[in-house]
Amino acid sequence: MSVAPLHQGNAFHNDPKFGRLLLLSVIVHAMIWAAFSIGWFGSSTRPKPPVYYVDLMQKPVLNPQAGRPEPRPVSKPKPEPAKNPPSTVTPSVPVEPAKPVVKPPPKPAEVVIPKPEPKPVAKPIPKPAAKPVAKPVVEQPQEKKVKNAIDEIRERQGREAAREELKNKLAKLRDSAGAAATVPADVPIGMPDGQGNEVGVSALAFVQAFIQQNWILSPYLLDQSRLANIEAKATLTYTASGKLIRFRINTPSGNQQFDDSLKRAITKSDQLPQPLPQDLELVVTFNLKEIAAARR
Amino acid sequence: MMLRWSIVLLACCALPWSALAATEIEISAPGEQSIPLALTEFLPDKGPQSAQVSAEIYEVLVADLDLSGLFRFIAPEAFLDDAGRIGLSATQVNFPQWRLLGTETLIKGTYSLDGDKLVVEARLFDIINRRMLTGRRYVGETKDIRRMAHAFADLVLKELTGEEGPFSSRIAYISNQSGHKELWLMDVDGKRPIRLTDHRSIVLNPDFSPRGKEILFTSYRANNPDLYRKEIYSGQEAKLSYKAGLNVAGRMAPNEREIALTLSKDGNPEIYLIDTGGRIRKRITDSWGIDSDPSWSPDGSRLAFISNRQGNPYVFIADVFSGKVERLTNRGKYDATPAWSPKGDRIAFSRQDGGRFDLYTIKTDGSDERRLTFGPGNSEHPRWSPDGRFIVYSSDQGGKRAIYVMRADGTGSRRLTTQQSDSQHPAWSPRW
Repeated sequence: MSVAPLHQGNAFHNDPKFGRLLLLSVIVHAMIWAAFSIGWFGSSTRPKPPVYYVDLMQKPVLNPQAGRPEPRPVSKPKPEPAKNPPSTVTPSVPVEPAKPVVKPPPKPAEVVIPKPEPKPVAKPIPKPAAKPVAKPVVEQPQEKKVKNAIDEIRERQGREAAREELKNKLAKLRDSAGAAATVPADVPIGMPDGQGNEVGVSALAFVQAFIQQNWILSPYLLDQSRLANIEAKATLTYTASGKLIRFRINTPSGNQQFDDSLKRAITKSDQLPQPLPQDLELVVTFNLKEIAAARR
Repeated sequence: MMLRWSIVLLACCALPWSALAATEIEISAPGEQSIPLALTEFLPDKGPQSAQVSAEIYEVLVADLDLSGLFRFIAPEAFLDDAGRIGLSATQVNFPQWRLLGTETLIKGTYSLDGDKLVVEARLFDIINRRMLTGRRYVGETKDIRRMAHAFADLVLKELTGEEGPFSSRIAYISNQSGHKELWLMDVDGKRPIRLTDHRSIVLNPDFSPRGKEILFTSYRANNPDLYRKEIYSGQEAKLSYKAGLNVAGRMAPNEREIALTLSKDGNPEIYLIDTGGRIRKRITDSWGIDSDPSWSPDGSRLAFISNRQGNPYVFIADVFSGKVERLTNRGKYDATPAWSPKGDRIAFSRQDGGRFDLYTIKTDGSDERRLTFGPGNSEHPRWSPDGRFIVYSSDQGGKRAIYVMRADGTGSRRLTTQQSDSQHPAWSPRW
């Protein structure tokens, strides 16, 4: 009885098909290995979609067109004229009542004023003061007073002008930043990387924005040194009506406070404010990379 | 035949993988970084109504929880009728009503007054999951109101963070309120100050024993800076070290068997270990420079201290067993008063740079130095809360020196003592 398997084994090895089978097995294994290594199966290597600030009032679609995911910017070009009343700070300056009349170019006027003025003041005053030191005893205090007063006024003017210049620069920067950040008003609703033809925002970006809005976590709850590394993954399944039908924390972070905050965020996100174009199953990675980066 | 089967098998392997691959998204920051909390006024359950009881509990809870930096308080004006209902069980709370206000947590409570006897019931609810997270019943007298509220604030932090808060502990400090620099003790919020010494001399540099039963301090009562120990409950006091010269900055080891302190009996201030009877056990430092202000690591194996052995005063770390000394800080001009955090990962200290003292923390390997204060005035004598979340210190930013507290990251600073007198050298007790 114990001889039979041995005999069978020998017979198998002697089978002429054995070599072909072995070769086939090697080829199949090599193909599977190759498929894995080039990322054919690898969902984990699929790049995560970029984060956009999405207006949750917009319709989530599958193939959004190229456009803007946020609502149209409120146009605010007119508050600039309000910058004119900087002169309110310098009412005590009797020397320059005529200048405020020139309304349109307040910026260059104020920037230029302080520069030429201090020079003539600085030069003439020390000269007479230095030479007739002993003689005009009476004039000195008066001159000094006047000089001090003028100096004070001009210093104040200089400071105001510098402040105003800074304000203007800041306003210009803000305006240019705003202009760069916001797309022209006639750009349609869509996604910056949209290549489809549907009006609306990406369904993924929509869900991402909604869950993030509901995720509340204080960094003080966690060990500060762990902020950069903490991460958890959850799988969420939404129906096309926007209802969360199941979720599972696949990879908990190991920190109870962090994981609890995720569960609360997901529970709060059990109904999306808009229906989705189709059922959606997604793996959400939660981490605190942004906070950790900001604290570095 | 076999080739065909292999291809089928291969297809079967590949298909489910590609079909099951769910879309991935990443959320790399929460939408909000403070927990919305609805804190209701505690309502009278039995006995007479007392606006003072309710207001005092509310005030303590708001102050403690706000200092924690964890919460965003929901405006009480927005509360609906559930805030006025007594029900404290999860079935009695109207969760949808609270969720409507956007809160995630809710604190409700009641009190019962019977003469001087006070019973306080407090509950913390999770609004999202509709459940009670924690609750306590405190029985005491009306004078214990603040203690009860502090205790519940500690509990709230424990429930939400996994670590109890430090609000029931106390802070010792030196104040000249009585005309002399004496040792005082107050609550963590600066309330209920009591004077512990009456030396009518100069008392300085207090520190609690690890179990919180005793305070060590230096006093010039006998015209020499001698080290004293004082039992807090009994008030008994004894001179511990009274060698010629300095006997200052006494810090009890975590095992309470040894005390590290600065002695200058041989002329030059050095760090020594003495036993609880005052006898010298070991000399830790031996250099030509001045060595002072020792602070124990939580495991009792190392001591941080200040030394000018390499020029200006910097923070050094000495291994208690081997005696090996390493320099920790190397910036600034004048470092002082190091304090090892209770978690052991960082050391707080003050540094004079640009003409005034500010507070810093640094990791124990010398990396990640962070500045916590930026004036105005001098900020000195940092000491950690027992949970490492907060730092208490003294500052003269308002003119006279006062005791301040802030979060360990330098935010949320607030003054604890009045500025009618000079207050300095704070020390935070272990959990009371």
